Amino acid sequence: MTQEKVLSELSHRWDSFRRKSQQRVKKIAQIIRVISREPRGLIGASIIGIILACAIFAPLIAPFDPNEQDIANRFSAPTSQHLLGTDYVGRDILSRLIYGARAAAIVSICSVGIAVIVGVPLGAVAAYNGGAVDYIVILIFDVIRSFPSVIMILVLAAIFGPSLLNIILILSFTSFPAYGRVARAQTLGVKEEECIMAAKSLGATTGRILLSHITPNILSPIIVLAGMDLAVMIMWESALSFLGLGLQPPAASWGIMLKQGYTYIETAPLMIIWPAIVLITTMLGCSLFAEALRVALNPREREPNE
Amino acid sequence: MLKYFVKRVLGIIPTLLCVLLFLFGLIYLLPGDPASIMLGPRATPAMVDALNKSLGLDQPVYVRLGHYLWGILHGNLGESVWSKHTVASLIMSALPNTIVLTLASMGLAALFGITLGVLAAIHGKTLIDHLVTVLSLIAVSIPDFVAACLLLLIFAVRLKLFPVLGGGEPGNLGDQIRHLVLPVIALSMGWLGYIARLVRDTTLEVLDMDYIKVIRSFGAPMSYIAYKYALKNAIIPVVATIGLGVGKLLGGAVFVELIFNRPGIGKVITDAVFARDLPVVQGGVLIAAFLFILANLVADLSYAYFDPRIRYE
Repeated sequence: MTQEKVLSELSHRWDSFRRKSQQRVKKIAQIIRVISREPRGLIGASIIGIILACAIFAPLIAPFDPNEQDIANRFSAPTSQHLLGTDYVGRDILSRLIYGARAAAIVSICSVGIAVIVGVPLGAVAAYNGGAVDYIVILIFDVIRSFPSVIMILVLAAIFGPSLLNIILILSFTSFPAYGRVARAQTLGVKEEECIMAAKSLGATTGRILLSHITPNILSPIIVLAGMDLAVMIMWESALSFLGLGLQPPAASWGIMLKQGYTYIETAPLMIIWPAIVLITTMLGCSLFAEALRVALNPREREPNE
Repeated sequence: MLKYFVKRVLGIIPTLLCVLLFLFGLIYLLPGDPASIMLGPRATPAMVDALNKSLGLDQPVYVRLGHYLWGILHGNLGESVWSKHTVASLIMSALPNTIVLTLASMGLAALFGITLGVLAAIHGKTLIDHLVTVLSLIAVSIPDFVAACLLLLIFAVRLKLFPVLGGGEPGNLGDQIRHLVLPVIALSMGWLGYIARLVRDTTLEVLDMDYIKVIRSFGAPMSYIAYKYALKNAIIPVVATIGLGVGKLLGGAVFVELIFNRPGIGKVITDAVFARDLPVVQGGVLIAAFLFILANLVADLSYAYFDPRIRYE
């Protein structure tokens, strides 16, 4: 084969790689279209949207300061002034719920973000290099995953003490192996593909191959996983705060509100019911959205009689 | 099968070793001097020294690691800092409660989950199917600590149908069962929804197979087909996820035990966490991790038993 022939072959492969990337963009657009057409997806997306809006614009939406106490007015039933009533020191429950969305959003977005940033490169590098690196990385993943996550999180939270940053770090520590494993499995499949061979023979460095050729090809299952994990992290923020190992009172967090409701379970049922409704609705919104995403990514389920 | 069995059993050894090392290293992760952290601000230097000595913290690392591993091999997990009970006895007295809670929840979830899933699949695209789908989605979405709080509020505090707190009188079986009802429901709900969904999807797939169509064309009643053919295939994915489920339930048991104030390993660990009783935390987590690894092993093996393709990978 002459040199020109090799080069034309390589550029042909390069073109097919670019075409593939364009198809991917189209596929993402199609997924968004399918989700918005699906009622489940729409409901889920709107619930998530409302929570996000509450988190971002909390000071504008909330009718009261979340920590403003009004002892004379404590345990108040819902009134026109306090739409959802007040808690044991007379704080407005609605305002606290709105501010609680902030804690939930910050913790879930940051911890999923860190887990992706740490886990995906580790998994991709392990699969690409193979050998001892692969073995050690898998061992690390397996050890972290062999603890029931609740207990791991509890122990770490107890050791490092409760703070916003620590919760985020702990949650990302326990969840990054999942991303690592998915990235590793995907990379194993992708690394034998022709476009990677082409890049290699054109002289691309390992770092460049991993970053610009492998990463885009393994991202879509990771996005799905990350989307579902957001709900899990919201749950964890509340659960840890409920236990007293997460955010600390007087911070507004759904978990803290539930815990205080639990303390006053005999006298003020509303203090449990409102945060429980908000938490369940959020989880439900995320499940619906994940369900729609799954359907959108899995055309087999999209039959007309479904 | 034997080869696969040996391979899987040997495969957990490095994991177990790393778990042990991690738990051993836990004490070094504590910011500051472990003994004074455990004893709190009011400890005298003499008390700190005594604790250091009893924990072996005055010795070099390799000696302590040796003692630690030697102790575990002999079932000696150390002593609680506060109560002077041995960690092993604390855990052993709590463990049966947690195992009963977890197994009962697993059983409830499997029983109702499989029944509802098959029911939904047989009545595909009817009201029952939609109802099961929606309910399972809701059940999956309720975090177990929220479910526990709500059940406690509604059925124990308001309606007074069930006792509020505790694990029941020891020896009084009826009382213990009454104390078990709400925790088991709270714990199993999410898993029940998950299994129902899983079984529905698998059964729908199985019912679409040619051999089922042949049997149907012979005029066999649907309930007979579902029981005799579809159910067996539908159970396989449930078995495959039992390992995952045990981990989830063990984790959820921590919250349920705390909220219902039930004795159990979750409560032992969380109490120890708040009391900064490190030996108990180490021992409890070790046992929990061990149970989790064991459950995963059993699930893997049973999966390989049901599905021969796995063995030859």
